[in-house]
Amino acid sequence: MRALIIDDSKTMRVILRRILTDLGFEVAEAGDGQQALTVMETGPLPELCLIDWNMPVMDGYTFVTRVRDVPEWRDVTLMMVTTESSHGNIVRALAAGAHEYVIKPFTPDAIQEKLELLGLVKDGAAA
Amino acid sequence: MSELVTPTAEDLQALVEQVWTSYVDPEPLLPAAPLADPGCWSAVTTVTGAWRGMVTVELPERAAHAVATRMLEVAEASREEMADAVGELVNMVGGNVKSLMPEPSQLSLPMVASGSITLPSGAQEACRADLAWQGMPITVRVHLLENDAEGAA
Repeated sequence: MRALIIDDSKTMRVILRRILTDLGFEVAEAGDGQQALTVMETGPLPELCLIDWNMPVMDGYTFVTRVRDVPEWRDVTLMMVTTESSHGNIVRALAAGAHEYVIKPFTPDAIQEKLELLGLVKDGAAA
Repeated sequence: MSELVTPTAEDLQALVEQVWTSYVDPEPLLPAAPLADPGCWSAVTTVTGAWRGMVTVELPERAAHAVATRMLEVAEASREEMADAVGELVNMVGGNVKSLMPEPSQLSLPMVASGSITLPSGAQEACRADLAWQGMPITVRVHLLENDAEGAA
């Protein structure tokens, strides 16, 4: 199963990559929403995107709305992983098409639990 | 209009420890005596909106390097990696400070400097956490921004 990590922080991409790789995901990375759209247009389509909110060039919320505008990408699972924790913005992201929302700091277990709820991880490994 | 609400020093220390134990070291930070000049790496993020303030992290070079190697799980970290790791620290602390304050508000991208960051003249320190990790000082501060004092110089 393929995952795309979208975060402008290399440090956070490394932390998330470690978690997803341990779960058996094949991982690609992008440093902002625009780069992520290019990855999705040109590479194999990921089943899962982990998305930061505050990024240069294109933020995570805009990325979610752009992905949801493309019918061929409707099956891609979108999970926000961000410090953006205001109730209003969580509701906005979910209304725009994000499936789940994780607030930093998180533990690896929290990511795994969310992916299990989404049916992307079963018995500790990518389904 | 910005509200003059501030997190407490206890809130701030709890937030910093939550981030620290999640990504840097499971051993908690220790309270330390305040230092006039805690170090030579500084990071700042700014909150604007219903609450206006800045969150800063200051630490010595050796601590910034150790933070980067811990977070990235590498033996050596470049200065770019140090800046990225320290920036992510202030981003997470700043985001959690923002979550305690009145909404709606926005968090800026972090700024990191090898050296000190000059804050706007209207920025007033609201609370601080003076901490120590492996004998190295880590100082986290929250500053309130007055109406016309926005952004770091």
